[in-house]
Amino acid sequence: MVSRSCLIRWKTRHLGSSIHPAVSFSRSLFASSQVYQTSWVQAVSNAEKVVGFPTSFLSLRSVANDEISNIAVYLKKLIGTGHPLITTAKNLVYSNDKTHQTRGLLVLLMSKAAKRESGQDILPEQRTLAEITELVHTAHLIHTGVINLNTPNANLEMGNKMAVLCGDFFLAHSCVQLATLQNLKVVELIAQAISDYSTAEFIDIIASENDSALDRWSQQMTLRYGSLIAHACQSTLILGNNVELIESGKSFGLEIALAWQANIEIQSFKSNANRADHVLSKLFPETPFVDVVANFQAVRDRHVNAALKILTAFPQNDASLALGNIARALKY
Amino acid sequence: MTAFLASQRFAILFASHNRQLCRAYSGLQKCESLLFTSPPSLLFQHQIQTGVPNITNVATASANDKPDNDAMIRRDLASLYEDIRESLGKSQATLTPIAQYYFDGEGKAIRPMITMCLAKAINCHLNQISSEMIEKQKKVAQVVEMIHTASLVHDDVIDLAESRRNKSSANVVWGQKRSIVAGDFVVGRAIEICAAMQSDPVFELITKMVADLVNGELMQLDGSATENERFAHYLEKTFKKTASLIAYSCQSVSVLAGADSSLQNIAFQFGRQLGMAFQLVDDVLDFVATSAQLGKPAAADLRLGLATAPVLFAAHKFPELNPLIQRRFNQPGDVETAFYLVHRSDGLQRTKELASQYCDDAVTKLAHLSPSSYQQILYTLTHELLNRMK
Repeated sequence: MVSRSCLIRWKTRHLGSSIHPAVSFSRSLFASSQVYQTSWVQAVSNAEKVVGFPTSFLSLRSVANDEISNIAVYLKKLIGTGHPLITTAKNLVYSNDKTHQTRGLLVLLMSKAAKRESGQDILPEQRTLAEITELVHTAHLIHTGVINLNTPNANLEMGNKMAVLCGDFFLAHSCVQLATLQNLKVVELIAQAISDYSTAEFIDIIASENDSALDRWSQQMTLRYGSLIAHACQSTLILGNNVELIESGKSFGLEIALAWQANIEIQSFKSNANRADHVLSKLFPETPFVDVVANFQAVRDRHVNAALKILTAFPQNDASLALGNIARALKY
Repeated sequence: MTAFLASQRFAILFASHNRQLCRAYSGLQKCESLLFTSPPSLLFQHQIQTGVPNITNVATASANDKPDNDAMIRRDLASLYEDIRESLGKSQATLTPIAQYYFDGEGKAIRPMITMCLAKAINCHLNQISSEMIEKQKKVAQVVEMIHTASLVHDDVIDLAESRRNKSSANVVWGQKRSIVAGDFVVGRAIEICAAMQSDPVFELITKMVADLVNGELMQLDGSATENERFAHYLEKTFKKTASLIAYSCQSVSVLAGADSSLQNIAFQFGRQLGMAFQLVDDVLDFVATSAQLGKPAAADLRLGLATAPVLFAAHKFPELNPLIQRRFNQPGDVETAFYLVHRSDGLQRTKELASQYCDDAVTKLAHLSPSSYQQILYTLTHELLNRMK
């Protein structure tokens, strides 16, 4: 059995960044979730260099106009109220662990991975599409953060108001950006993603006679996260005229989205004190903790492997390599 | 000669009840309007000579044609709502009722009505009879109605509204979160339908409309305008929130019919002026109609802190309203004081006059089109809009 530290160093050898052996050894003593974070951070950082990704891709200031600046004033009043909008807004502005704006990064990587000649660069339309992907995802996060209020509460009502307006603003802006692409097929795909993330909220993860609870989870996650990433990958290949890779791109997007979400559930399950309410407890009821983790890791790894297999259809270049690294980083 | 004319009229009546002959019907209609109504050019000359088109005159001229065309429009409207419900229906069982909630055909349907009538008027003007193009124009009406309704659902959450169209608002029935997300679903489907029209210019117009809707709502948050800027700010906000829908919708159907840029502009301006008038009358009704008539509570704008045209006009006569406007009527008694002062002032009258001016301008634009029964319907509609009570 290869020791864990050797395994880490072997897996990360082609990331190009040098990890001091002592550091990687000591890292192996920590819980594996820390290892996951490290390899994820490295994979994403490296990938960013491949596509020339700006550090703060979508800041509120970059889409700012007079009207949206009013929102900023009201947002300040929300601090301390506990409304989900504050967390979302904070994450938009301060991102330390590279888990943000990864969707835009994936779109850019997919764009570059499909280029068969080394001289070809990512098209401006593809960069716009990456921004649109982030806008739609952000609108989704913000709108699903709206709270159901049964009793009057001035602060939370204000929070809801801001959430609705902000989300609508991002959706409207993404529509305006979509019009600049002059490609109605792409518009249709992104619009489907919007309908899909909305539909996901209405799915219950309860086993029925046709579907297991796990099937329902997959359906929900496909609609909620998979659809946007898959359609964005598909769209960027349409814009790049990489016709032969369109289906592969779509499938890759879906697999990576499911693998990513599965991993998020595993990590949060491991670190969560109150496991009874966690979705994994509901997917695998009356199962010991270790078995739940193992079961879901198997689900996750199936998706990672599927994604890696699809990647073989793409040309071998920095970008497809970076996509592979990101997929593999999820296996921790 | 009369036998020939009579048989023509009979043919038209027969055709109007048979869907398959509708294409021919629209062609025959053109003949009908030329043969049976007073030469339309005289109507225009009257308007141009007096300089101020009087919508009452042109509106009442259409009384004879009303029943046939009305029936056709109503059939189109009924199928529009059926089509919308169908496009929203193929989904999760818990989502469908929320998505379809306001598409029961109980609303005023004024936007689809205006869109489709203008579409047909432009089709007559340009001699366009392609049924494929007419279907796309219907889709424009569909898309605009879906986006408008989704914005209403979102507005109700923002305004904490409890009722709309004489029933509980969606957020009361299903909670805020699901309502907002259902609204997104409707928008997503609307954009899909728009993309399927295969027209880049129309899609761009629809995106401008969506952006204006949101920016208009954001403008309402802004209370920073000075007294002098307030009216201009109010007019800009009114365009974005209300008139833009009708303006871009009218322009879109003209684009589909192959209109050149000057005709597109006429369509846009017609929709815009009509939309502005519509909102101004709405703002008056908020002070005048009872909640039973409106289907929603009255004096709603004041309670939301919004200073609409009647209030802004009243502030000229009663400057003590200015601090109340500044603080968005948030002190106890502010709403009541403002309500009382508006009624005591000439604010309502001046708002109606302004709405009337917008209507007259709309009619002037409409007069550029070739005469048709649909043009007549729009004249009547404009007149009714100005005088409505809900």
